[in-house]
Amino acid sequence: MKSQGGGGVQDIRARAAKKTGKLKIFFGYAPGVGKTYAMLDDARSQLKNRVDVVVGYLEPHTGSETIQLLDGLPALPPKTVKHKNHYRKEFDLDAALKRKPELLLVDVLAHSNADGMRNKKRYQDIEELLNAGIDVYTTVNVQHIESLRDLMQDITKVNEQDTIPDYMFDSADKVELIDIEPDELMKRYAEKKRPLSLESLRLLRETAMRKVTDRIVNENQNEQLLSAKTAGIKLLVCISSSPSAAKCIRWTARSAEAFHAPWTALYIEDMESRYFTEEEKKNVQENLDLAELLGAKIVTLNGHGLASIIAEYARLTGITNIIIGKSRNKKTLKTLFDPALEDKLIGLLPNIEIHIIPSSWPQRSYREPRRKRISQDLFLSWPDIWKTIGGLTGATLLSFGLRALEFGNQNIIMVYILSVFFISRLTMGYVYGITASVLSVLVFNFFFVSPLFTFYAIQTGYPVTFVIMLIVALITSTTTVRIQTQARLAAEREGRTELLYEINKRLLTTRGLQHIVTLTNEYIVKLFKCSAVFYTRDQYGSANLHRSSNHHGSSGILTQSPAEPDASFLLSERESKVAQWVFANQKQAGAGTDTHTEAGAYYMPIISQGDVLGVVGVTCLKGRLNRNNRLLLKMIISQVAMALERQYLSDEQRQILIESEKEKMRSNLLRAISHDLRTPLTGILGASSAILENGDHLDKETHIQLVSNIKEDSQWLIRMVENLLSVTRIKEGTMNVAKTFEAAEEIVAEAISRTRHRYPDRKIAVQVPEDLLLVPMDGKLIEQVLINLLENAVKHSPDDAVTAVRVTKAGAQAIFEVSDNGPGVAEEDFPYLFESYVPCGKRSSDSARGMGIGLSICMSIIKAHNGKMEAANKEQGGAVFRFTLPLEEENIYE
Amino acid sequence: MSNKSLLLIVEDDEKICNFISAILTSNDYQIIRTARGKEAVSMAASYSPDLILLDLGLPDMDGVEVLRTIRQWSGIPIIVVSARGQEREKVEALDLGADDYLTKPFGTSELLARIRTGIRHSQKNVSVSFPESEKMTVGDLEINYQKRLVSMAGKEIHLTPIEYKIIVLLSKNTGKVLTHDFIMKETWGPYTNEIQALRVNMANIRRKLEINPAEPRYILTEVGVGYRMVEEI
Repeated sequence: MKSQGGGGVQDIRARAAKKTGKLKIFFGYAPGVGKTYAMLDDARSQLKNRVDVVVGYLEPHTGSETIQLLDGLPALPPKTVKHKNHYRKEFDLDAALKRKPELLLVDVLAHSNADGMRNKKRYQDIEELLNAGIDVYTTVNVQHIESLRDLMQDITKVNEQDTIPDYMFDSADKVELIDIEPDELMKRYAEKKRPLSLESLRLLRETAMRKVTDRIVNENQNEQLLSAKTAGIKLLVCISSSPSAAKCIRWTARSAEAFHAPWTALYIEDMESRYFTEEEKKNVQENLDLAELLGAKIVTLNGHGLASIIAEYARLTGITNIIIGKSRNKKTLKTLFDPALEDKLIGLLPNIEIHIIPSSWPQRSYREPRRKRISQDLFLSWPDIWKTIGGLTGATLLSFGLRALEFGNQNIIMVYILSVFFISRLTMGYVYGITASVLSVLVFNFFFVSPLFTFYAIQTGYPVTFVIMLIVALITSTTTVRIQTQARLAAEREGRTELLYEINKRLLTTRGLQHIVTLTNEYIVKLFKCSAVFYTRDQYGSANLHRSSNHHGSSGILTQSPAEPDASFLLSERESKVAQWVFANQKQAGAGTDTHTEAGAYYMPIISQGDVLGVVGVTCLKGRLNRNNRLLLKMIISQVAMALERQYLSDEQRQILIESEKEKMRSNLLRAISHDLRTPLTGILGASSAILENGDHLDKETHIQLVSNIKEDSQWLIRMVENLLSVTRIKEGTMNVAKTFEAAEEIVAEAISRTRHRYPDRKIAVQVPEDLLLVPMDGKLIEQVLINLLENAVKHSPDDAVTAVRVTKAGAQAIFEVSDNGPGVAEEDFPYLFESYVPCGKRSSDSARGMGIGLSICMSIIKAHNGKMEAANKEQGGAVFRFTLPLEEENIYE
Repeated sequence: MSNKSLLLIVEDDEKICNFISAILTSNDYQIIRTARGKEAVSMAASYSPDLILLDLGLPDMDGVEVLRTIRQWSGIPIIVVSARGQEREKVEALDLGADDYLTKPFGTSELLARIRTGIRHSQKNVSVSFPESEKMTVGDLEINYQKRLVSMAGKEIHLTPIEYKIIVLLSKNTGKVLTHDFIMKETWGPYTNEIQALRVNMANIRRKLEINPAEPRYILTEVGVGYRMVEEI
């Protein structure tokens, strides 16, 4: 049986040693410079060097010279995939993975795959190939690099959609720049009609060269120099819902690259963000995704007061440069009063550089969102209406009272202002406060301002009062709403943190793989109200998810959320394939990602120390998990990863312990055997040589004596061999025996008759219970035990002593006793009685001969029967050896 | 001399073969020997020995195969010799037609006893002149077949019909081991699997016949194989 411990460790080493393929990019500044040609040329020389080269995919419209180079290179047939309404030929990733060449050529790294293919982008396919150990050659134009997108757009006036993330370029093993003079290129274009001006070509060339130079400079840089130079530079970019934020992000990415500095993308969720339209939410998400793709650390904060939050964060984390975008849109009332964000920031952070990236996007209308925003504030509810009315009525009554007490109107105004204040505090939303203030003005006017019971206000000053009341109401309501929202957000966060803490606590105390899995699933279901499925690594630690033996699907453990429709599809073959992919590639996949988008659930790998321990799938048929939930899921998963790792480690440890126990037992046995075998063999050799050499000189008695000795020693050896053979009957792995029901008396009878055969003069008394006692046991082994015990008893008691054997039934046990009338067992021998190995000096091999091995084997046999064995000295003298066997067993067969 | 019984010894280990031959010849048996299974079959056919001692661990052929082949055309008593711990092999051989077994290492007395029993039972088969005996005696045990009476030291013992059947079966094969399977099928029929019942019955028989059921003198248990009634006390 393969030991899990060994398998696990070997596996980890194997994975660490797993070679990832090397990526070589043929980089050009424009189409037609000759990247594909260079790539094929290189491939041909590789082919000459007997490298296994295969052409994975080649763009169809390459020049005739290029196509000539294809001659002799084996190629994979492309996959025909239906995309929108026509058929496209795409790179067949699975075929490539199956073929597994040493080197694969894949043209156009930045290509977006057709719908229905596993990955959205070809660079993801390339990543899979590299992961599988295949070297890849590919081609890329400078326009396709994500961080340069804006620059490129300025030059070429084309918004390039197919881009590759910068890390793909930066982490390539080799980048070969394919360069020709722009004039030359223009000449080539004349043949193909490409619309790029000479000027743009020059600029593109410059950008491409600069990119490659940066790469070289990076490689040449000394590590220490790096850190000294960049000590302290940290960039922060603020993300908003505006699409121009993308420009800021890319600029920051480039700068961070140039400075070799870390950068953070900060998104602040305030009250307004709750009222974002779908499109705005999508923009925020896209911007955050872009930042993450380009290598930023993403931070989301909640609060109100953009500037103060940014300033706080910047101060805390040592930001040195802040990048914000400037839109030319918001000309609302607010902006008239509020200073611009950058001014606020400068005010709060005098030492930080602020970069402003102007947005080139046209003005967007904000009317539609605002309408929506207002409707969100209308928290209409009956209790609040009653509160308003109640408040006003109360105020009015109080005022009547006050008037009766001759308090002037100025106090009554205060009462109404107070009531408006209270109403704003106690109700949700702006509506009630504003209504209350308007109403209170009217009521005040009606009841308390002369002319009474009219809506006229004669005295000057009252309009001012009314205005003030209105303003008070507005401010109070706004503040109240803000505070309430803050409180709500804080409570939500608190709730989440508390849940995480709880999960962590529970996971710490949970033992057992099954429990960890069910616990995690339960929490996910509770938290996200989605069904969850959990796959664990299978028991040999190999790169396979645990597959159950009875269905064709895999045995992920599914927990159904009560709020969701039936999620049993999660266990289907299709879904488990996605999970398998996640397992093998250590990346997330499924709904809402770029890989296997058609899957029904979102799958996340559980990674710890570079090893995938399992996969969790969450399905939300109501809609995909938003960013916050994903982050939360990630946090939960990292806790689960620790718990899983702990579990696997403890399992490994247990296995190792068992192995070492077995090893110890085995070596002890061998040691004792070789010791015990030597003595009788010496006797046999000695006696037989004596007879052979001196046969004539020996008298008959001595002769017979020597031969008897030989016989005795042989018999002793036979007994030893029988004992050893018994040990092999104990099943290696489980230390169990195959049991059948045997009659106790039959076993005892045979043991006794064999002992009698050897010692015919000894008296043996035996007693068995009246009724037939059937005991589940391995008959031969128990017989062996009895023979060993009987022999011991006979050897250690005088010739005329009686050895007694007794079998009794006690409850659910059968008790076997062998006792003698000899001197008994010495006190100091007791602890070592059943051990085969005794520390040297404690026993002389002669006196204890046969006791060592025999008894320890007896102990092993009894233990394997789940019984117990012990020895004691009788009061009347002599020793008794007792063992018990359970009478009930699960696995018996007739 | 034609009175000496002819024994065929099939054994590959020379030393063992040597000492067996030595014992048997000194006990008035005639010996032929071979170390190979194929030869054993042909020798059994050509010499027609009175008994075959067959080692199960032969180099060229499986001992069980030899047994099977010979049993196809002859009822010669065959005693199989096997190593200790190979219970299943022994039982298989017995069920396939071997008459008895010996476990290596064995003593000379055992060997001689088994050979004697083996020959005796075969002679019984051969000589038709022996009629169906009326009764048989072993030590103090007496079984009267005609009257269907079993008595120990003169005292009658009451046995159930099944117990009686078993005792009769054993008594007709004294000295020979009968496997559990064999006894079951003879007693209950070919399609039963009543090993529990067999044990219970044997236990009851023992309690009725023996003074101390844990020290049986008449019916011995061969653990893992079957039961044997002694020929003489």
